[in-house]
Amino acid sequence: MTAALALPIAAIPARVLAAEANEVGFTVLGYKEKGLMKVTEPVLWARGTIHEVWEVEASAAVDIISGASPQVVTNVSGRPVNAVSAASITDRRDTADAKVTRRFGDFAVSASRTVSDENDYNSRAFGLGAEWSLNQRNTTLAAGYGKSNDRVGSRDDPTLHERRDTKEYLLGVTQVLSPLDIVQSTITRAQGRGWYNDPYKLTFTFFESGIPLLLSDTRPDHRDTLAWLTRYRRHFPAAHGSLQVDYRYYRDDWGIRAHTLEAAWEQSFGERWSVRPALRYYTQSAADFYSPVSPASPPPAILSSDQRLGAWGGLSPSIRAAYRFERGLRIEGTLGYVHNARDLRFGGSGSEAFETLRAVYGIVGVSYPF
Amino acid sequence: MKRWLAAVLAASLCGCTAVAPYQRGYLARDDMAFDPSPGTARALEKTYSAKEAASGGASVGGGGCGCN
Repeated sequence: MTAALALPIAAIPARVLAAEANEVGFTVLGYKEKGLMKVTEPVLWARGTIHEVWEVEASAAVDIISGASPQVVTNVSGRPVNAVSAASITDRRDTADAKVTRRFGDFAVSASRTVSDENDYNSRAFGLGAEWSLNQRNTTLAAGYGKSNDRVGSRDDPTLHERRDTKEYLLGVTQVLSPLDIVQSTITRAQGRGWYNDPYKLTFTFFESGIPLLLSDTRPDHRDTLAWLTRYRRHFPAAHGSLQVDYRYYRDDWGIRAHTLEAAWEQSFGERWSVRPALRYYTQSAADFYSPVSPASPPPAILSSDQRLGAWGGLSPSIRAAYRFERGLRIEGTLGYVHNARDLRFGGSGSEAFETLRAVYGIVGVSYPF
Repeated sequence: MKRWLAAVLAASLCGCTAVAPYQRGYLARDDMAFDPSPGTARALEKTYSAKEAASGGASVGGGGCGCN
């Protein structure tokens, strides 16, 4: 399954006082699934202000992926199970992005560009944005438009050259509620057309009688999505800490409905240390065409047994610690655990064939203002 | 969509006391930012979006990936 990776630094205002300091940083992600994939991702990023009206942000990253991947869902044993690839795969993705913003008093316009290349997938995207601050900059309205043109290939099939094009639209508002709290709410709508099939996923179905059926992953040639993200921050001066709550509602025309809720408390210890425990909960329904097995022949025109399209839920606790040195250098480390299972789906009734995913991740970053 | 926008505008422009710039010291704290550092934010997005059907919400123009 492909997923549009939102560019974090192209988001609408990340904080009330827009980034005015120049800053450069380096981050490394290490991610490991139990028995499956391992990912390492170094990221170099920088942002700065030029002549007080221009803001520039840029980043570059490399994803190094290795390990086994669920490739075939088969019920040869009597019930559908995921069979992983026999050989360990290695893949690499190079990505870079840049964004330029020009401020005109309470108004700002921005443009961004993202490129991403893998052996079997290439993406080129751009974004345009506008912000308008009013009410003494207590309210910021944002609008955005993005377009990506992707090319899909396959390591296993050199003749596969398909395209996928997506248009995105964003509307958002950031509102200062009081000297201690602030809320941001954004809606993003995406319209995608093109190739969505996963070229590496298969469904191998055995029947009580007759010939077993081997099907390639086949999905609709369109995907329209809506994501509504609301984020709330409140500081408690007496406790020297802040509450952070994020909620996202997602739906698409594949029949998937999903909810994401994360709550965190960031505790400061003096001027330099902070520790942030957090808990993230995710739940989704299955796509209309998701099935771990095929009905008897003739097979449906559209079917995918990719369990990422099934019904399941996930809990992910994490903890982050940060330290800021006297001259501004900041070091940050995050440890997280991911536990995705069918019985964690809100309301129960997760997909029967969903196999529990357990993973740990660590993120270490250093940044320096200049 | 239009009704949502009107409701959000109405909620944001009335009933909230304007906070003067000199009162926003707490809002400028690191722990009041909506996103962690850009590198950490990107790493977290990658970690979760590659396994979940849902994605997006905060920005546009980020492009796609194979994520097989």
